[in-house]
Amino acid sequence: MRPDRVVAFSRYEVRRAVARKKVLAVVALTVLLDTVPYYALAGAGLALIPAPFHPYLWAVGVFVPQAFFLQFIALLIAAGSMSEEYEQGTAEVLLSKPVGRDEYFLGKYLGGYSLLVIVIIMNSVLSVASATYVFGPQLGLGVLPLVLLVQAFSALVFFSLSFMIGELVRRSSLSYILSSAVFFTSQIVGIYLTIVYSLTGQETFRVASLYLPTSPVNSLPVLLAEPSFPSTVRILFRLGNTGAVETSILFSVLLVAVYSFSTLAIAAAYFARADVAKRIA
Amino acid sequence: MEEVASLEGAVKDYGPKRIGPITFSVTGGDIMGFLGPNGSGKSTTIRMLLGLIRPSSGRVRLMQMDPLRDHARALAGVGYSPELPNLQSFLTPRELLHLMAKVIGLRGREAESDAFRLLERVGLTEYADYRIAKLSKGMIQRLSIAQAMVGSPRFLILDEPTIGIDPGGVVHFRSVFRDFAKEGGTVIMSSHILSEVESLCTSLAVIHSGRLLFRGGIEEFIMKGLGTRSITIQAENVGSGLVSALSEMKGVTRVTMNATGFVVETAKGSDPRAEISKLVVESGARLLSIGYSRNELHEAYVNLVRGMAE
Repeated sequence: MRPDRVVAFSRYEVRRAVARKKVLAVVALTVLLDTVPYYALAGAGLALIPAPFHPYLWAVGVFVPQAFFLQFIALLIAAGSMSEEYEQGTAEVLLSKPVGRDEYFLGKYLGGYSLLVIVIIMNSVLSVASATYVFGPQLGLGVLPLVLLVQAFSALVFFSLSFMIGELVRRSSLSYILSSAVFFTSQIVGIYLTIVYSLTGQETFRVASLYLPTSPVNSLPVLLAEPSFPSTVRILFRLGNTGAVETSILFSVLLVAVYSFSTLAIAAAYFARADVAKRIA
Repeated sequence: MEEVASLEGAVKDYGPKRIGPITFSVTGGDIMGFLGPNGSGKSTTIRMLLGLIRPSSGRVRLMQMDPLRDHARALAGVGYSPELPNLQSFLTPRELLHLMAKVIGLRGREAESDAFRLLERVGLTEYADYRIAKLSKGMIQRLSIAQAMVGSPRFLILDEPTIGIDPGGVVHFRSVFRDFAKEGGTVIMSSHILSEVESLCTSLAVIHSGRLLFRGGIEEFIMKGLGTRSITIQAENVGSGLVSALSEMKGVTRVTMNATGFVVETAKGSDPRAEISKLVVESGARLLSIGYSRNELHEAYVNLVRGMAE
């Protein structure tokens, strides 16, 4: 495998993804979500929010999108990465070049993932900047690099899953629908299982919810960041994270790794064997 | 001559449809015309050669390598322009050629100069910075040929390369492909334009309903399809003795007079054009032109394909 070819495909994938209007729209939405709420709160009067929370409000912008929005961006970028190339007939031209299929596959995966990481970083930077501008100096920022790392790592679950679905079905619309169905089903089932567990106290429901793909995605960043904050402001991490499940950091890391690498391995194995289709109408 | 591509009993089974078994080879320096009706299996055969699809059985070799297992090595020096190319519409021609150059391992300035050279060669310099989405069908076809030539390949596989290109462009590309072959390059060209194949190709492969009907020289194919070759002679002041003299020539099977001269039918393996010219001039007639009749390939092809259908 030649690294320069992988890099060429990665850069191409970033360019291709950015050229897609839906990805651009989601990036624009990220900017809005990370700025407008802060300025709206400022306009409504700072007194609405108790003063002890003010130095930690950056966490709202960083953690609230974790459960839904960031995963949905991962899904949008990855679901079309392979499938759109088949649909548009562009895979045929690229793979008729003297390149390894592994170089193409890895390049596209890394390129799409790089774009996702850029969006995750942008989400945090904008949140911190907006919170600082509106609510003054922010505290606890030392944990931010770790949070970014964990958000990028946990986003691998739905990124890899959607990438795999895109490769298997080779139709972008079907790929988006199936990936979204898995994501929303997992979120909703997780919420139900948590509610049922709260009402019945039966351990089975809690354990079942632990193994859902959304479980480590929701839990891991919170589990890692929460101890660094005063107990009085920890509620900020739970905002918008209704499906979060209490579990260990190691368990969450393992689950992210298992989901990500197993789906990636399936996609790679299928891609290595399958024919490169002409344009799929 | 070195064998650059070969298929040995290659079969692609699509379930209800089966292409193959196909066996043929292409040697270096050849310009092979690849003919067949729509859906006969030309694109499938080409795609098996390129390692884009896996044969259900049989063996495919490209540059003496397995194009699936050794894809990058087997395709080094091979360029491919697909039928109805779908290129990255969000890029410009310059960016596309640069991307292809990068992908095959050319670096910075080398990639840029290759892109520039190819844009010039296919007549797209003026449109180098337009979005591909804005280009006409003919321009996209030109760009597709350019991307196939990135990195100066030694073997071009072209699927319907001149579809949508204006007549001037077609003439230009014919000379581009001829020059490419003169410089030692090999070409496989699938086409439905038989005059183009006749004027450009040195050999033929004809496929029908997934089976190879013919592989060999153009003359051999015409003889197979028509049983004879026709030489058209345009001449003035033709004397009555000339026709009988021509009829008695070795290799001539029939002579027919027409308004502008006559048509001489010849047997397999004979090419009496030089002798005919000499005879016509010596008889006192004024020779205006002599050459194999046009549309022979077309007629032979129609005969063979019709025969298959029946």
